Amino acid sequence: MTAVTDSTARRPGIVWLMWRRTGFAPLLLLVLLVLNVVLNPVRFAPGNWGTLIGLAAPLIGAALASTPAILGGRGGIDVSVGPLMGFVNAIVVKVMITELGMSSPFVIVPAALLIGAAVGAVNGFLAAYVRIQPIVATLGTYLVLVGVTLTILPSPMGSVPAWLKLFSGSLSIVPLAAIFLIWWGIRRLPYYDHLMATGSDDRAAYTAGVDVPLVRFLSYVVTGVFAGIAGLMLTALIGSADGNIAPTYTLIAISAVALGGVSLAGGRGGLLGAAIGAICIFLIQSVLTLFNVSTFVLQIAYGAILVIAICLTAIQDRIEKRARQR
Amino acid sequence: MAEAGRPSAELRAAGLALAAGKAPFSETVQAGEIVGLSGLDGHGQERFLETLAGLHPPRSGEVVVSDGGAGARVEGFRQAVRHGIAYLPRDRRATGIFPALSILDNFAIATIGRDVRGGLISRRSRRERYQKFHRQLSIVAPNPRAPITALSGGNQQKVLLARWLAHDPRFLLLNDPTRGVDIATRQTLYGVFRELAREGVALVILSSEIEEIVTLCDRVLVFRENELFATLSGQALDSDRVIAAMFGKRQ
Repeated sequence: MTAVTDSTARRPGIVWLMWRRTGFAPLLLLVLLVLNVVLNPVRFAPGNWGTLIGLAAPLIGAALASTPAILGGRGGIDVSVGPLMGFVNAIVVKVMITELGMSSPFVIVPAALLIGAAVGAVNGFLAAYVRIQPIVATLGTYLVLVGVTLTILPSPMGSVPAWLKLFSGSLSIVPLAAIFLIWWGIRRLPYYDHLMATGSDDRAAYTAGVDVPLVRFLSYVVTGVFAGIAGLMLTALIGSADGNIAPTYTLIAISAVALGGVSLAGGRGGLLGAAIGAICIFLIQSVLTLFNVSTFVLQIAYGAILVIAICLTAIQDRIEKRARQR
Repeated sequence: MAEAGRPSAELRAAGLALAAGKAPFSETVQAGEIVGLSGLDGHGQERFLETLAGLHPPRSGEVVVSDGGAGARVEGFRQAVRHGIAYLPRDRRATGIFPALSILDNFAIATIGRDVRGGLISRRSRRERYQKFHRQLSIVAPNPRAPITALSGGNQQKVLLARWLAHDPRFLLLNDPTRGVDIATRQTLYGVFRELAREGVALVILSSEIEEIVTLCDRVLVFRENELFATLSGQALDSDRVIAAMFGKRQ
């Protein structure tokens, strides 16, 4: 019988687990944080952290929302996350608050979650049961949502109630914490194991008796619910309804997810990595803006980040493989 | 596992044809029996095994699983699993293990429901369940939280077997279970298979090792050109006859 070598018999340490979940992102985060604090001490003074978190919150939310669908594997991705946030923003501010006069959090929050879940269910149905490639299916939803949002809301308007505005600064931690809390719960359900197994290898998952389509379907619903929360965060930050801002979040969020060590092939990574990736992107934005770089160059940066992130994930894979063979 | 209460469990293929225009056949696997499948590669034995597991719809005829009373028709893999059928795939790397997951998670994936306490997963229950099979199959893996790829091929196979044994199957379908497995591990596996049969599990083993099925099985079905060519058992079961049948020679 083959003996197992000592290196693999070791109990996986916290550093190893962190590495498996987030890859290079924490290191990058540290470097960027130091860079920002040194270059721009005023903006990054401890008193301003609340504002900064508020500014970063919708991007972090969008990245967290993108993660579950990606974890499901076989090209699982939801590009409609950004427009969905914009749709929630438009419905909440234009329809519910302005036209119907409903401003209670007990109506608005459930409505946002419900809209998210419904759109997520449509995406999930198309991707998991009709088996359209996820990127095409959600691109369809993307276009429909952008169109509907602009029809409801041809120009920016409206204002938000005080309770919602409260979550634009340091309190934007609260909805983010809510997402993490939901995910923490999901991680303890049988569902999480099924999702990671499906993302890791769907044929093996099938022969292990996992209901692969259902698992994938639900991953889109979770993505939709998280996007609903992210839509509320965006609404809190901009304090009005604007149909043009949200769609841009999609691609940046996917870059953030990739940067956070979540494998775009599925089955590896988690929300923590996605959040760290999003913060990294926010910090890169912040450095570049400091140097008065134009927004066009920012786009170039996002693209470069995406490619580099995927390369880093591949390098991480290779290092792990080598570690296993030792 | 199997008590005296359910001795009459059986898996029956009735009028099954494996491909268009091929002769249908019927075959029944009883509880406590070890049936071997043999044939040259790609002559239908694998297809037969996968059909029994519900992975392929039969071309004609049906597969019926019964537990003494009325039988249920096997119509899909997940439904087959619900009726106590377990299937261990051949290609361990492609359709067996999850390389990214730990040994423990690889073990538990088919039986996650049993670790649920009040709706949530209990890591402790999972570890305890694993320990039992860890001993029974003498899996060489000091730490169950290591990634499964840290194990040797034989031990990976044992973990996959444990995955399905945890399911308490009444029918265990094994697709070349000792492929790429070292001799010592093979002996362990043979012991486990015989013990399972004694406990009343019905085993169907497809193997590319003729010696293996001759020593292990009560009965061997030899396939040729997508048809059941010969059934060998008792005195008639030896390597020479199996090989002759594989090449289409009648005795």
